Amino acid sequence: MFLSTQLAEGVNLHIRQTTQFKTVSFSIKFRAPLNQQTAAERAVLSNVLQHSNGKFKKSAEFRSYLDDLFGTVLYFDASKRGNEHTLLLNVETVNDQYLQQNQVFNEVLELINTAILEPNFDNGAFVPSIVEREKEMVTQRIQSIFDDKTRYAQHRLTQIIRPNHPASISANGTIDTVKQITPESLTKAYETMIHEDKVDIYVVGDIDVEAVQKKLTEALPFKDRTPKKLEQDSNESKPEKDYTKEQQDMKQGKLHIGFSTPVRFGDEDYAKMQIFNGVFGGYAHSKLFMNVREKESLAYYASSSYNSQYGLVYVVSGIEPSNEKKAIDVINEQLDAMKNGEITDLELSQTKAMLVNQLKETLDLARGQIEIFDQYKNLDETFSVDIWKERWDQVTKEDVQEMASQIQLEAIYFLCGKEA
Amino acid sequence: MKTIEFKQLDETLFYKKLSNGLDVYILPKKGFSKTFVTFTTKYGSIDRTFVPLGESEAITVPDGIAHFLEHKMFEKEDGDVFQQFSEAGASANAFTSFTRTAYLFSATDHIYKSTETLLNFVQEPYFTDKTVEKEKGIIGQEITMYDDQADWRLYFGAIENMYHNHPVKIDIAGTIESIDKITADHLYTCYNTFYHPSNMLLFVVGAIDPTEMMAFIEENQKKKEFPEPTQIERQFEEEPTEVAIAMRELKMDVQKPKVYVGLKAKETNLSGEEMLKHELSVQIALECLYGRASNFYTDVYENGLIDESFAYDFSLEKGYGFALIGSDSSEPDQLAEKIKEVINNAESLLSSDGIERVKRKKIGFYLRALNSMEFIANQFTRYEFNEMNLFDAVPVIEKLTLKDVVEALKTIQGETQQTVFKVLPSSERAQ
Repeated sequence: MFLSTQLAEGVNLHIRQTTQFKTVSFSIKFRAPLNQQTAAERAVLSNVLQHSNGKFKKSAEFRSYLDDLFGTVLYFDASKRGNEHTLLLNVETVNDQYLQQNQVFNEVLELINTAILEPNFDNGAFVPSIVEREKEMVTQRIQSIFDDKTRYAQHRLTQIIRPNHPASISANGTIDTVKQITPESLTKAYETMIHEDKVDIYVVGDIDVEAVQKKLTEALPFKDRTPKKLEQDSNESKPEKDYTKEQQDMKQGKLHIGFSTPVRFGDEDYAKMQIFNGVFGGYAHSKLFMNVREKESLAYYASSSYNSQYGLVYVVSGIEPSNEKKAIDVINEQLDAMKNGEITDLELSQTKAMLVNQLKETLDLARGQIEIFDQYKNLDETFSVDIWKERWDQVTKEDVQEMASQIQLEAIYFLCGKEA
Repeated sequence: MKTIEFKQLDETLFYKKLSNGLDVYILPKKGFSKTFVTFTTKYGSIDRTFVPLGESEAITVPDGIAHFLEHKMFEKEDGDVFQQFSEAGASANAFTSFTRTAYLFSATDHIYKSTETLLNFVQEPYFTDKTVEKEKGIIGQEITMYDDQADWRLYFGAIENMYHNHPVKIDIAGTIESIDKITADHLYTCYNTFYHPSNMLLFVVGAIDPTEMMAFIEENQKKKEFPEPTQIERQFEEEPTEVAIAMRELKMDVQKPKVYVGLKAKETNLSGEEMLKHELSVQIALECLYGRASNFYTDVYENGLIDESFAYDFSLEKGYGFALIGSDSSEPDQLAEKIKEVINNAESLLSSDGIERVKRKKIGFYLRALNSMEFIANQFTRYEFNEMNLFDAVPVIEKLTLKDVVEALKTIQGETQQTVFKVLPSSERAQ
């Protein structure tokens, strides 16, 4: 689906020509090993690059210019996958053909060059006042987790089950590591990113492939680099304890349970684990939804999610605090049922249909096409919906039962009000 | 079947009003594998006092009933409707807003089967006292979940401040106490009054053949019998122009204060192109005054009065309307003052150049949004219920002038129309 070319060693361009969208989407991903320090630096870096650049030294000027380009969306962001940190630039601009008489596209390419390669430097380093302001913004972002009880509970559970592990390292770093950043250290992080990171550049839209290849090679003249080898995260990180209850001034009880599985993305059993999760709590037909919510009326939401990068399965539910034990029992019963092979043909066929549908729907979005391709390109095979559909189709009840039997409880975390 | 072409956008919309009164719109999308369908009734949380179908006296029903009804539509005598959607690989959902209840699904396969499931489950109510009781536990947890969300409390707190009487100030899901009073009879009364096809709209967008799909829907509808459509009579109390409460705060377990300035709209009786023009004008004004390229934004950002949560929005429906502007802020009072200062001096801050720039941004926004089937279906329905057309937005924006924008803004500018609501940290844990 994407046409890939190497622009330099460690720098790849992936283009998809399609008339599906009224816009052209770009995504430029810079990748480096994940740790608390690099995460913090790169989160702040993404904010600083977003704020201004050498051509538009004031944020308002930069934003005005984007507005003039028919509200071209341009944002930097920080994310993570496995043990890799990604600093990315996403750009989406209206396809010229829908505009009366404008040549937005070329200006956008120039802007990408400016945003990445022409930083707003003062004496060879980022402007101290901007760095301080953006450090503050990232700090606020980290702190805001506390004010969203569901996110906070999930954050705590991950910290408990995988301390000092990529699974619990935030793409924004920590308040302390953000604090340590200086204009100089940030400038160094920027230079490292430009010269040493593995880079993937994506373009999706109704474009002239050869022209875009040529223009992007000029706009982003990256040199060869040998991307750093990622260390395999060890499984040595273990839960501190298997049950934790914490209290805040709140009404609902947030029940978050962590399980582990030996199966990761790309493993032979990966498709089986996806089906396991779908039957367990991934959809509205799943065991958790049908029992915790519909049968027992214990919750409004009760679901599971499979994080295949770290081999973790999370169950989350919002309940009346006094129902904690009952909810845990009902959740365990669902897992036990699966371990005992109580999986119906209907549950299997529903889950398979939903997985295929979800994948196809994701591919209807330009961003979806980029993310799916980006994830699957590292596997030694060509990606297609049909291949995955067939893989899911082959999964049997016994396979799912086997996946269930490999699931290990890691820890339970319960966040609730003070009087409960 | 009527065909409406939007040349500049390269879109063709197909429309038919069926004999039972149902409005059906179909927008084929080339190159996509997905289809998205919404089935929406013009009935939301604000419709709490009305004359039930076939009666002459108005009644007031318990708060939260439209949302409760939405939940209960999914349960049938033979089980849960989600099961049928899942079997066909369709993701189904529903939502209730102040003015609408929408049932929807998206799928890449078995579209006709899921369309039939959607039409049938929404048009075949099944409520018993037993299933109604069971749902109270589930919705109770939904209400509790929202009670703990500081951003939701901030939003509703600001609306409560603005309104004396209008039911927009009542939480869409109601309260644990109000839903406890709901019975199966209530649900049937509301259902029969508001779920008549003539009060509903079906929107299909995606990988479909419009002629075949229209025939399929018509065939399905012909098999069902409905009473003659009647005019629904909703009742609302008089609502003063000024806000009910100018300033209020709520303590919660948060680390950082949150603040909203609410601007209550006094022009809430528009419809059609007039409403579209008015709404877009106010939105453009707010973007000029508070957007990221504004002097205001630069000032409050550089002085640390806002963070990435800063947002502004304008909502307008028949009978109510308001703008909300705010952020998490360590200095909520100072920020509120700055926000008010801008709105009070707006005339001197708006310029033709600024308006033209924001118009371009807004046009780009609509063109991008037309990639999204969810946006098209949901927004088209909302526009249509207000007799506006989503696809007119770009041409209307192109024609807007500084004068239009200044005039429209006046309707939310009065000082007595302003309110401030804050959520403040309750415990010593806060810094």
